[in-house]
Amino acid sequence: MEMLKEIAEKVEAGRQNDVKALVESCIEKGVAVSDILNQGLVAGMNSIGVKFRENEVFVPEVLVAARAMKAGLEIIKPILLREKVQSKGTVVMGTVLGDLHDIGKNIVCYMLQGAGYDVVDIGIDAPADKFISAARESGARIIGLSSLLTTTMVYMKDVMDALREAGLGDEVKVMVGGAPVTQAFADDIGAHGYAPDAASAVDVVKRLLGN
Amino acid sequence: MREWVSSVISSETRCAFPLMVFSGADLTGTGIDEMLGDARTQAFCASALAARFPSAASITAMDLSVEAEAFGAGVRRMPNEAPTIIGSLVPDADTADSLSLPSVGAGRTGIYLEAASLTASWIGNRPVFGCHIGPFSLAGRLCGMTEALMNVQAEPETLHVIVRKATEFLIAYARAFKESGVNGIVIAEPAAGLISPAHCDEFSSRYVRMIVDAVQDGHFMVILHNCAASKRHVGSMVSTGAMGLHFGNAADMPGVLAAVPPEIPAFGNIDPAGVLKNGTEESVHRTTSDLLATTSGYPNFVLSSGCDIPPGTPLRNIDAFFRALDEYNAAAAGPRRAESVR
Repeated sequence: MEMLKEIAEKVEAGRQNDVKALVESCIEKGVAVSDILNQGLVAGMNSIGVKFRENEVFVPEVLVAARAMKAGLEIIKPILLREKVQSKGTVVMGTVLGDLHDIGKNIVCYMLQGAGYDVVDIGIDAPADKFISAARESGARIIGLSSLLTTTMVYMKDVMDALREAGLGDEVKVMVGGAPVTQAFADDIGAHGYAPDAASAVDVVKRLLGN
Repeated sequence: MREWVSSVISSETRCAFPLMVFSGADLTGTGIDEMLGDARTQAFCASALAARFPSAASITAMDLSVEAEAFGAGVRRMPNEAPTIIGSLVPDADTADSLSLPSVGAGRTGIYLEAASLTASWIGNRPVFGCHIGPFSLAGRLCGMTEALMNVQAEPETLHVIVRKATEFLIAYARAFKESGVNGIVIAEPAAGLISPAHCDEFSSRYVRMIVDAVQDGHFMVILHNCAASKRHVGSMVSTGAMGLHFGNAADMPGVLAAVPPEIPAFGNIDPAGVLKNGTEESVHRTTSDLLATTSGYPNFVLSSGCDIPPGTPLRNIDAFFRALDEYNAAAAGPRRAESVR
């Protein structure tokens, strides 16, 4: 459908007002919200994600596209809930305790939302119990831990330990990422997935959830 | 400093200038917070490093919270980590317009200038560089990095107001560094690597150029550090007129060197966290040797870390970095000696 294609293009271009108007117009015309979501909003975000991965666009383009996508998502969210449209899964995302950096974590959140996942963003400086309670409340099967500092990345191990102590070690998978984090570090602490960059985080989540 | 640059480029041996001061705290048993809060302690740490390692130059601490703090931004200080800016001092266009410039010396900038002066006077056998943040990265700390990145597209006028004010302060700060007696400054502009080359021109390089024009001359060198830059950003970085360019580990160094004019030294780019801090002596030695081998065709390459070396980096790993350099130079000297005998 032409309007859905246009939503995707406007998301990609970061035109949030256009996205809002098109989404509202689609709803008025009776277009299924799952189509608005998947063929419009998610398709647009997915396209910008591919370009980001290929270094064709940079962080600002992703951020404004994400803002446009979220503007459209806010409009259809009540309908999605009412019609019980299933997401691909839920991911809890946060920057670990002691670390106040959020750009990488935010981009991962947007990429995941753009790929059709529900994201519970618990923000920065997050202690282990915040990750655990967010996972319990949302039913998330994946927790994403972000860190920019070598001194805070070690806290990721504490979160892993706390998850096991809370009895969630088997059902909740952990994905780690951030500038100082490596595959070797992820292996050392027993993380289930390592995302070297924001774009590949989506692939890691897909793999861990078996989508 | 033009002579220093010429000698670095024309030298038959490769030299190294890693960005390290935090390791001076490790070397002297000083806490990071203590080092960053006291000029003499910081200069002592830099001097201890200069005595311990054969670095081609020394640098004062790369603490990218100092300038935003001087503007009035909140800072969280940690005992063993560089401070971090918290909150947003400039959340909207109105506060951007009313943002007033701090005087040089406000906050901890006075400590950093004194540290630069002491370091320059205590280390007599190599150039000493001061360090301050770049204009776009400072704007990001003032209004929030995510907001700054988004405003590149969403509200460019507001962003320009903030970057312009950041630049005005940084020019005065850079001049104060020059007066302190150091031989140059490293301008750390990491956020500029997150935006497109065209946006980098618009929101970073043209403003960096103003700082360069204000302070750089034959005796005072500006090195522009952009740890997120790729080969595509090289043209924009060159346009600043900075006498040296410094790249992070995100860059493919041989690819970058192919794009940097041969008269400009290009510094880089061993991963400071993944390799230098979290690696082993063997992995540091191997990675450094590999980088030296792949860059051997470029006389303007200067071995360095991709960013400042983090606190807690094992000193034996830094030894391994310099050992790889020594071995590379010794191996390169062999054929030259044979050539001279012939």
